[in-house]
Amino acid sequence: MKVTDAAVFPYPCGDTSVRRMALEVKALRFDSLVAIDTPAGSFDGVDVLSGVLVQDAPMRDVIGRVKRAKDSGAVVCVSARDNGFNRAAIGLKGVHILRGIHAADKAAFDHVAAKIAADNNVAVDIDLSPLLSARGAARQRAIHRYRDVLTFERRFEFPVTVSTSARSCLDLRAVREITGLCSLIGMDMDDVEQALGGVGRVMSPPVPAVRVIP
Amino acid sequence: MSPRPPTLRENRRYILARIEPAGTVIDQKELYYAITDAVTSLWGDSVAGVIMPAVVAAENGHVFIRCLRGTEKELLVALSTVTACREVRLALRPVAVSGTMESLRGRVRDLQVLKEPVPETGESIFENKEVLIMHCNGQKVDVIEKGFKNTHRLFLTRSDLENS
Repeated sequence: MKVTDAAVFPYPCGDTSVRRMALEVKALRFDSLVAIDTPAGSFDGVDVLSGVLVQDAPMRDVIGRVKRAKDSGAVVCVSARDNGFNRAAIGLKGVHILRGIHAADKAAFDHVAAKIAADNNVAVDIDLSPLLSARGAARQRAIHRYRDVLTFERRFEFPVTVSTSARSCLDLRAVREITGLCSLIGMDMDDVEQALGGVGRVMSPPVPAVRVIP
Repeated sequence: MSPRPPTLRENRRYILARIEPAGTVIDQKELYYAITDAVTSLWGDSVAGVIMPAVVAAENGHVFIRCLRGTEKELLVALSTVTACREVRLALRPVAVSGTMESLRGRVRDLQVLKEPVPETGESIFENKEVLIMHCNGQKVDVIEKGFKNTHRLFLTRSDLENS
């Protein structure tokens, strides 16, 4: 299982080149990272997966962009919005990760969305940036949302990923620090380990041991 | 006031953290305020009162932070939420935890013997822009764009500069 940061934003979105991100991530005990809008590659033994982030677009555009990205081998992430949008996005074939659940409405992710996510093997991302940089009400709200998501995760067992959303190498955190931060939202060591391997789980879902042929 | 006998003293632990980016000049007092703010904001006054964080020293790109024994985990989580000090962006990377400052100082000495950064400055080109090399350490190169505006720091590698 590869320990992966599910979203970083290298230069020109941020101030750190993708090669430097890979170097820093290696020092912080990661095996791979998902770099948004960056070609895939391997730098210094760290696998860089290409990521596509679809946000602020109507559903029709989302469908088009997901279709275009489906064959490229990129990790397709969709930014969460209201409940209806999220259910539709999770149900789309080719979507891998639903991001930004902390910034969506309170009812944006419910038990129905959780069931669809589990059925379609779509991960929900735990973005650590609000825990790292926000203070007060914003951080409290993010903690509450993530605790809510994890309640559904324990019930429906959909994949979860962890990301730092780093735009700079200064925003990256070590695996040990991530474990500490995730303890704030009620994740234990095993949960964090599974979440760090969540990208691998959505990109290459396990082949079922028994296949039912109708 | 006479000092307490050793059996009545509180046991303390010291955390050694590396300051990134390298070469950042930090005022010890400002860093103390940033750390206290992070601890109070995350854990509240009651837990912060138990942790009692203090910046004991800041030298050679490292900072020594003191806390009450048994509260290291809480302090380490709070340290990962420190993102700036007086509007200077930074990250504190925990290196080691110990019961004495001396052992941590030894650790810093060992680290500096292992990888002494090569002081290298100069100019280069990145993405058709002239950049000034601020700091070099192995493959890592920190540059700053030349000019009056948009002079923020970029974190690159030697390959990035060679390929551009």
